[in-house]
Formats: sequence, structure tokens, C-alpha cells
Amino acid sequence: MWGRASRPCCRGGDARRSTGKGSAKVSNSVRYIRHHVLITTALLFLLATTSTAQDWIRTGTGLGVEKVRLAASDFKPSTNDAKNAELLKTFNDVLWNDLDNAGIFDLVSKSFYPLQEPGQPSEVNFPAWNSPPPNTSMLAFGNLGAAAGKLTVQGWLYDVKSQASPQVLGKQYTDDATTGAARVIAHRFADEIIFRLGGGVPGIAETKIYFVSERTGHKEIWVMDYDGANQQPITHLGSISLSPRISPDGSRLAFSSVTKSGWEIMMYSFDLNRMVAFTRFGGMNLSPSWSPDGKIAFSSSRNGYPNIFVVDGSGGNSRRLTNDKGPDVSPTWNRKTGSQIAFVSGRTGLPQIYTMESDGTNVQRLTDQGYAVSPNWSPNGQFLTFSWMRKYGPGEPGSNDLYLMDVASKQWVQLTHDSGRNDFPCWSPDGRHIIFQSHRSGSDQIWTMLADGTNVKQLTFKGANTQPNWSWK
Amino acid sequence: MYNIDIDSEHGQLRRPLAWSLGLHLAFAAFVVFYAVFVSGMRGTGWGSGGGGEAMGATLVSAVPLPANPAETTNVLATESKGLAKSQSTVQEKEPEAIPIPDKNTKAKIKPAPVKSATQRKAAPEPPESNQIPYGEGGPVSGPYTMSAGGAKGGFGFTGSGGDFGSRYAWYVQAVQRKVSESWLKYEVDPRITEANRAYLTFDIARDGHPSNIQIEQPSNVPSLNQSAQRAIQRIDTFGPLPSDYSGSKVSVEFWFDYKR
Repeated sequence: MWGRASRPCCRGGDARRSTGKGSAKVSNSVRYIRHHVLITTALLFLLATTSTAQDWIRTGTGLGVEKVRLAASDFKPSTNDAKNAELLKTFNDVLWNDLDNAGIFDLVSKSFYPLQEPGQPSEVNFPAWNSPPPNTSMLAFGNLGAAAGKLTVQGWLYDVKSQASPQVLGKQYTDDATTGAARVIAHRFADEIIFRLGGGVPGIAETKIYFVSERTGHKEIWVMDYDGANQQPITHLGSISLSPRISPDGSRLAFSSVTKSGWEIMMYSFDLNRMVAFTRFGGMNLSPSWSPDGKIAFSSSRNGYPNIFVVDGSGGNSRRLTNDKGPDVSPTWNRKTGSQIAFVSGRTGLPQIYTMESDGTNVQRLTDQGYAVSPNWSPNGQFLTFSWMRKYGPGEPGSNDLYLMDVASKQWVQLTHDSGRNDFPCWSPDGRHIIFQSHRSGSDQIWTMLADGTNVKQLTFKGANTQPNWSWK
Repeated sequence: MYNIDIDSEHGQLRRPLAWSLGLHLAFAAFVVFYAVFVSGMRGTGWGSGGGGEAMGATLVSAVPLPANPAETTNVLATESKGLAKSQSTVQEKEPEAIPIPDKNTKAKIKPAPVKSATQRKAAPEPPESNQIPYGEGGPVSGPYTMSAGGAKGGFGFTGSGGDFGSRYAWYVQAVQRKVSESWLKYEVDPRITEANRAYLTFDIARDGHPSNIQIEQPSNVPSLNQSAQRAIQRIDTFGPLPSDYSGSKVSVEFWFDYKR
């Protein structure tokens, strides 16, 4: 239609080149062209509007939270290298544990899996996975192979209930063919899966835990992977070191240690891999805590009674936040806002949990009874976890248990029950886990659990290990 | 000179116009093709997202749902918790008013019962097709329906410009899970035992950040509206949109049911 309309203008132009009507035809043709341009533009706009129309999701809640049903098929060998068996075992075990620890998956037992497990996308038998017995929504699978000292891993995450567009994730990793590299790759792949299915919250598989261990005869600062692997000492001071706290960027570690001048805040640099100088304040200086922007709050008795002080990351600009006789110790920052500090104070007798603004104003008491210590603020700033002996005193068979309190409402829930002394809880960066020290096994060891108190696992076994601190990322 | 100008002008226009003709024809063919085939495959009514098995979206199509999402959102003002059956039974009581004419023994009008009979048949149908609360009709009996503490809910998707809900069911599920985690029910007035459903809309940007949070249809309990709004505001990110999704953002309508 549009093509036909354009022809007369050409013909007219040919037939009446030298007449006055010729100019009229020319103006007509120009009008036609304008007309067509307008129509074309309008249609293009319409088409563009249609193609970019807004997608909508309509969903709702009024319910609890349902875990994602996930199957993690064992990765298959992609080469014939002799190292494959060992690497595959390490990789598959670590990947499974990471996904199991994530707390957001309902992992399908491997006994339900089909006999033919896929190593490539083309090998995925959708009906075998998305219907009982596995009846899974998500499937993680892939292959691993060593060749010429190099390890190559290909991994996929499929939404097997959506056969039309199943791929959620596809990754390839290459590294040296060592079990250590296989562990790291498994951690990274697990974190990718957790990030995608966990609503954009990064996984914790590559995070570290700092803690105090006296397995060498002295209380030194140690570090381990989040799952308890690769435990290594950091300090070799031959003294007593306590309260390790890693900085938000992971470059420095603050802790308190006995020196010639008494208890001081010490600093270890991971950039230099050695101790670095830090301001000596005098008196007893304990329990440092990093703010999100790199300030350090700690307890200092330089003026007599232990009070809360704040310094910048280099130890300068010291500022006193509390000023009373009751010992104020164990400060912890609101990790989301950095504008509040929770601490322990004995100003009314037994130690209780308090909060205040970062300038020391608006002090509020959170616990109302018993013996409450070791507060730690959740990454989202919503909760405090702490150790609380709610019934304390003669004739009260109370024990230290871990509690979770919503700071705004002061509602609390008990996380551990009848399991010995539990203390020094610390949040994971994803806000889904809590690591803590417990004596439930007969000695002080590091344990981890989901933030609802379930899935409790022991991470350390040798010597006595206490005061864990989880890295920020 | 004048003629020569015209001549040369026509000589210049001939080829472009021929191109124009060809391109217009090609464009027309594309528009027809797009309208018939491409648009026919996407953007159908909500709940019709084939391939959304992960969320059981296919089951939604098995339930008589309203075709137009806009209509259903309006109907939601009925605050009905269930399917239309309960409302149709209420309407059946209306004809009981008919016995009133019994007092007038003289006036026994037969056409009246006939009218009421026709009304009975006619009345239930419009409510049944319109009174199914949006997003609730399908999942009520679906396998992915969840319940806790007497509250019920589920999913409903639409793809006006695409099929996000069925293609990325895992992302939708993550959104639902994250909002559920973020919603603090204690923020709702403790004296309230049951409230009308609150509807919120918001956009999720490409990086997963929620924005443009609005109460689309408030509940009758202001504290529920506030707690729902805060639940979204607390969330920093839902995670980046799927990498192969071409849109720059996706809009979400999220409803909150409350029952203590």
C-alpha cells in the first residue's frame, strides 16, 4: 500500500518535468514522504514500545519461607588424568558441604538421584530430575578434568522445572591441578549458586574465621576457612592474645594482647604479613571492634574504670563515649549503619546489654535480668546475638546460652538449649549463620549454626579454641 | 534552470523512492509476521506462562482466571480470601427475600420466581469469573501453595511484554523469599487478628535494587501497610536480574496477607 502510493509521484515527475504541475507533484511527493516518515516513525515507536513493554511479577506472602529444592550431582571426569579421582572427591565433597551449609537449600539426598548423572547440558534428563523421587527444582552439575598440570572445571545450574530455558548459571574455572585449587573452585561455584538463588546475598564459602587457640601452649590468633579447613596460626607472640577482630576490608587484624605495659590493642597487617605498630593507650585495653568505615571502638581503663573509647584506624583521635563507674566493655558496631554501638555494662550490677549512638548518646538497656555478655550485631543491623545466663545466682542452675534479639522491638529468642557454656557469638557476613564458642563437647571449641539455631556443626577439635570472629566478606 | 532542477530532483528521488518501496514492503511483512507469530507467543494473560513449571505456573491456567490483569486488580477490592464459591453462596441467600410476596396472598406472581431463577443462574457467573483474587485462584490448590499460621498465598505471573515469570521462575521465587524474610509481622498492630490484603508495587533495577515502592491497594489496617512497605525498603538488593534478560527493570506486584 505504501509502495503503491509512492509510485505515482515518480511517474508524475517523469511525465511532467517541464510543467507547473510538475512542481505541484513534487510538493505532493514530499508530502507523501513526510506522511510515510510519520507513519513509519509511529509504527517503529509502537513496535519499540511493544518489544520493551514492562515485565511484571505478581507474587505475595503471608507465609513462612520455603527453601529451594536443589540437587547437586557429582561432577564427572572430563579427562583421563590420574589425578582426577582425588580432585573430584575434594571438589564434590566441598561443593556439597557448601550448599548444605548455605541454609537456603533443601538438598535432595543423593540416593534419590537417577543412575545417569549429567556431566554436560546435553546429558540432562529433565523428567528424571523434576519428578519424584528427586523432584528437584534446581540441578547443579558439571565436569572436572586435569591435563598437563592444569585443572578445568565446567559447572552449570539448571532450573529443571523450566525445560524451555533451564540455564541459570554456567561457569568455567581453570587453575593448577591441586586439591587446594579444587577446594577454591568448589567454593566459588557454590557461592555463585548461592548468590543467584539467595536473592543477591553473596555466599560465605570463601570467608575466613579468626579465633584464639592455645594448641601451641600460648593463646595465639589463628585463622581457618569458614568450614574449619586450613587452620593456621597468625601470631607467634608467646603471650596471651584475645578478641581477634578483622577489619572490614580484610587487610588488618586488631586484637588485645598482654604486653610489657599491660593489655594493649595490637594490630596485624595482612598486606605486610607482620605485626604493625599501634597506639599504646595505657591501662587495660580490651575487645576492639571495627566500624564499617574503619574506626575502632574498644574498652579502656586508662582513666580508672573501663569505658568505651573510639579511635580511628591508625589509633589517633581518641574519643571517650561512656563515662561511668560501671565497667563498660565489649563494644560492637551496628555493621549496617555504623551509627550505633552495643556494649556490655555493669552499671546496674550484673552485666547487661546496652546500645548507644556512636557519639555516646541515647544509651538504652536491652536485657533486663541475668548475666548478658558478648553482643554481636547482625550485618543487616536488625539483630543482636549475645550470650545470656537469664537465671543467675545461688540456686539457679542457669547456663550460658545464645540468644537473638530484635533491636527495635527487644523481642528475643533462645538459640541454644541445654548444651553447656556457649559464648562469643559472631555473625557471618551473609547474616544466615552464627559462629560461637561452646563447651558442649567437653572442651572449648568453635561451632557454627544457622541463625535460627539449627544445623549446629563443630569446626575445631584440637586443643582449646575460643572467641571466633567472622570476616566481613 | 527551473526545469533542470526539477529533472535532477526527480532523478535523485527515483532510487531512494524505490528503496523506500522495498523497505516499506519488508517492514509491513515484518509487522504482520510479528503480530501473528511473535506476539502470539508471548504476553498472553497472566498465569498462562507455559514453561513455568518450577513455580507450577502451568497449573494456574487450569483454573478459570480472569483474562485481563487490570480487571482482577480491581476485583481484589473484594478482599476475598478464597475462590468465588463462598461469594456465590452469599448471593443465593438474596432470593430468600422472595417469600415476602407470600404475605400478599393475592399477588402470587409466577414470573417473579422465574426472574429470580434466572438471576440465580446469571448472578453467580460474573462473580466467579471476576471475584477470584488475583494470583490466588491458581495456587490455592497448587503444589507450591504454602501455608503457615492460617495464612495462605501463592504466585501469579503475567508477561505483558515478556514471560519473565515463567523463564526466570527461580528469580521470582528468590524475590518472594527475600520479601518474606524481610517482613516483620510484629510491626503490625498486635490487636489485629486478621487484615485485608495489602498490595504493593515496586521496580527491580538491573542490579537488583528495588525502587519506586508504592502501595497499590492498601489494607484496612494501616500498620500492615507500613510493615509491608518497610519490608521492601529494608531490602538492599534482590540480586542482579538474569544476565540474558534484555529488559532494564522488572516490575513487581506483591501482596501481603496477615492473619494472626
